[in-house]
Amino acid sequence: MRRRDFLGRAGAAGTMGLAGGLSMPALLSGARRAYAAEDDIPVGLLFSLTGAVAVVEHTLHDAALMAIEEINAAGGVHGKQLRPIIEDPASDPATYADRARRLMIRDKCVSVFGSYTSSSRQAVLPIAEQRNNLYWYPTLYEGRECSRNIMYGGALANQQQDILLPWLVENFGKKFYMIGNNYVYPKEENNYCRILLEQLGGEVVHEEYVPMGHSDFSSVINRIRAEEPDVIFTTLVGDSDVAFARQYHAAELDPEKMPVCSLTRSEVEVKAIGGEAAAGHFSSAPYFMGHQSAENETFVENYKARFGADEVTHFVSEAAYFQVYQFKAALDKLDPANISPTAIRDAAVGMTMMAPQGEILIDENLHTHLWPKVGQWQSDGQAKVILQSDERISPKPYAAYPGQDCTGEGLVKT
Amino acid sequence: MDVVFNQAFAGLSIASILLIIALGLAIIYGTMGVINLAHGEFVMLGAYATWALQTHLGLGVITALPLVFLAVAAAGWVIEKVIVQRLYTRPLDTILATWGIGIILQQAIRLGVGAESKFVRGPQWLSGNVEIGALVMSNYRLFVIAFSLFIVAVTWLLMTRTEFGMKLRAVIQNRGISECYGIEAKKVYSVTFAYGAGLAGIAGALITPLFSTIPTMGTGLVVDAFLVVIVGGLGSLVGTAAAAMLIGEVTALFSIVINDTLGRIAVLAGIIILIRFRPRGLFPSDTRR
Amino acid sequence: MNSRLSYDIIGLAVFAAVILFGVPAFFGYDAFELNTFSRYLSLAIVSMALALSWGTAGLLNLGQAATFGMGSYAMAMHLKLKASGDGLPDFMGWNNVDTLPILWVPFHSFAFTLLAGLLVPAAVGGLIAVFMFRARIAGVFVAVITLAFLVAFQLLVIEQQGFTGGQNGLTGLAPLVLFGWTVDIYSVAFYYLVGACLMVALMFGLYLTHSKFGLILRAIREDPDRTRYFGYNVANYQTVIFCISAGLAGLAGMLYALVLEFASPTYMSVSFSLAIVIWCAVGGRESVLAAAVGAILVNLAEGRLSDVFVEGWHMMLGVMFLLVVMFMPRGIYGVIVDTFRALRRTSACDDAAQSGAPLNSKQES
Repeated sequence: MRRRDFLGRAGAAGTMGLAGGLSMPALLSGARRAYAAEDDIPVGLLFSLTGAVAVVEHTLHDAALMAIEEINAAGGVHGKQLRPIIEDPASDPATYADRARRLMIRDKCVSVFGSYTSSSRQAVLPIAEQRNNLYWYPTLYEGRECSRNIMYGGALANQQQDILLPWLVENFGKKFYMIGNNYVYPKEENNYCRILLEQLGGEVVHEEYVPMGHSDFSSVINRIRAEEPDVIFTTLVGDSDVAFARQYHAAELDPEKMPVCSLTRSEVEVKAIGGEAAAGHFSSAPYFMGHQSAENETFVENYKARFGADEVTHFVSEAAYFQVYQFKAALDKLDPANISPTAIRDAAVGMTMMAPQGEILIDENLHTHLWPKVGQWQSDGQAKVILQSDERISPKPYAAYPGQDCTGEGLVKT
Repeated sequence: MDVVFNQAFAGLSIASILLIIALGLAIIYGTMGVINLAHGEFVMLGAYATWALQTHLGLGVITALPLVFLAVAAAGWVIEKVIVQRLYTRPLDTILATWGIGIILQQAIRLGVGAESKFVRGPQWLSGNVEIGALVMSNYRLFVIAFSLFIVAVTWLLMTRTEFGMKLRAVIQNRGISECYGIEAKKVYSVTFAYGAGLAGIAGALITPLFSTIPTMGTGLVVDAFLVVIVGGLGSLVGTAAAAMLIGEVTALFSIVINDTLGRIAVLAGIIILIRFRPRGLFPSDTRR
Repeated sequence: MNSRLSYDIIGLAVFAAVILFGVPAFFGYDAFELNTFSRYLSLAIVSMALALSWGTAGLLNLGQAATFGMGSYAMAMHLKLKASGDGLPDFMGWNNVDTLPILWVPFHSFAFTLLAGLLVPAAVGGLIAVFMFRARIAGVFVAVITLAFLVAFQLLVIEQQGFTGGQNGLTGLAPLVLFGWTVDIYSVAFYYLVGACLMVALMFGLYLTHSKFGLILRAIREDPDRTRYFGYNVANYQTVIFCISAGLAGLAGMLYALVLEFASPTYMSVSFSLAIVIWCAVGGRESVLAAAVGAILVNLAEGRLSDVFVEGWHMMLGVMFLLVVMFMPRGIYGVIVDTFRALRRTSACDDAAQSGAPLNSKQES
């Protein structure tokens, strides 16, 4: 019975793969046509569909693809359809670089949407700069970057932490325990957190980093027990975060006394953690699925209708979605005969738009003005927004580094 | 002092998970010299089977264990029949073939079930902690430790006290002569491979409440489990248990003294040196070679 | 032996003609396609390096990616320093490193970089080899030790973020300046540079396998003990071939860093290392030329499949690879050799027999 089940599934999977391939000849022939294409606008989608980060990235892919389909269904841009060219970089930075080249050079995409991890963005960045193309990056990230060829849709350290930290210190206490995966994003966020904590009179009792994909947190939990911090400040990503949350819950550490406050945990991770284990802990993000707005209602409704009722939207997929609309709005402002990545960028700067999270604005430094929120996870897997910024916060990629500023002319040192 | 005890328990719980994953690998490797790099994917299959049983039939993790064992064992049996059986004369090639199987299983799950991570509820009756002074032990982890010992015991009984175990040991010692005595070595191998795969499935079921269930979850586990097997010595159950224990405790110790990353590097370096000086592991059995 | 050598030379000549003339002509000297292809060529070098240690001497090195990574980091360090001008590389600032680490200083010199890219991997490979082979470790244990080393090394590179760029690797590199020529990776000249490196590596590999040294290595592969009784120092031979293989992997890594314009710790991942083994096995581990062809074919297939079957290409690669291991244990090379032998069966002298299948089963009993 089980075996037949398994075989059936394997067979189904095989056929699906084949069917998926066969239903794409339009795409393939499209790719060949790209050199002479006048009747549509090629855009690249560069999200991992396989490998370690596919867990999150496929949701970004889905959201961006859905936005493209919506735009096309509504008549496209200047009467032209957007033609998505899909590549699977398989969670590997080298493949990212290779596929980005394919999209930007061979397929002549005027923009590419992609990436979740910092390392993949860094792999694509030099190619986007050399080719003077435009790369739309929807993920929150560490800042300290000021490229004229990347449109940053996600939150920066100041957009996540400025409202969060005073509130945490006031409500829970001054002793922070920092845990993150071992790469640049957690380290930069913690740098910034230390600066804010110093101003607030807080202290860091322990700061530690575990390898990506680390899954046994028994030692970490012992240390947390011994240190008795007031807040666990985490920047763990993906399955590390899921494992940590589940083991934290299994160890019966009380979210009321020692809440875990994450900069990276979203509805996707909570779905895997389980509402019960996530309940009571906090996340800081510009968007939560339960946010009340007309735009969000449409977004969530369409997403569920397209990909299944139990799917969730989250703060990165929201950005992947609205960035396509920003791209479209920029195209609308351009003369259809004169579409180039730089023209799109220049048209996009200063543009406002109603996104699911609220009205957002593209800064001249190509980052996005966002609406920071703090949510507390409930046992149904949704976040209750308990703190919301009353104004749109401007992006400051060099907030932790006085004397440096990212402007419309690039990085300026004063 | 409290830290030491707590950390010793942490080491024990790391060890129990390592052991439960490594055991199946040890049996397969010890018996047929097959290095099964798809073992991590069997663990993953076990986790997904648990998820499927919980979502569709409402079974708990513990009640699902026998079914998960059978399901993954069946998958292992098929794979052995169709693929691995052809490679017994080429042990190094099994590394490659099983890696290929691993890729296929991962993709099959990804295409069939989806790439997003799945949620499996842990058993309610095992939530909570046992506290002895400052020593805090999670009930679920205690259960996993106990269960891993139980599996070792069952496997040991199977190997030493049953007719199948006798046949198995005979085939390990000398396949040709055992076949002369009417033991069907092929059958013994199939059953052993299926049993090892089933154990991996159980491991997958037991770790789902603690880890995250995604198609790639097995890849990281298999290297560690494999090192446990090598350190323990070929096909030695006691050796595997001791090696898991040693690696778990040392990992926990280094993790508190240095940090998790450098600790892991130190453990790996230690293993390399250990293999260099005791290439047949801590508890080499006399059956092979 | 002689006829085999002449076959290999003919094979190499055909291969060289295809790579140096056929491929560029086929792509109409299109810069983008040639750049993609030069990536495959650099991977062909690491695959043929593995064929030297695995196919010839029977030592399955699962840590080949570590030495490959060392080469790529050496090159990337040089180019990163160049891109940073007088200042520190940007990522060091991010990690609060204030002065250039001593490890980095000599990489200002291109000559040093070249030497380091070849010799550091060779030296590391040599150290591991001495460590292992003096203890007469063989078969599966070589695979395990090299695998454990690879995992530890990758962790170390990621951990030492201030020196290595951590998970992000080294990006934002300057173009290489080679004797006054600024290398444009999207140029036909660059393609020929990589192609020439591959050809030199292959000629070197063919020379080695056909020399007496290669013969002794094959003897070691078949039966190390018997070779030892003949008075050869088996450990030394194994160590030397490990060094050479690691050095060639370093060369491949340097080229790869140039082609992709960055170095990443994923070049040292277990899956990349196993991918190298796969290429080598598909082509045929017994012949360096076949291993190189295998790398090119698999990567070409991967590139095309992922273009057409965005969802299923991983699965197809897995199936393809499994079929190769099961039904073509000696890879494409084995199929070709067997076909030739079948054709020549009628002729009196069957000297192809000496290139018989590797007796892997012997290494591990």
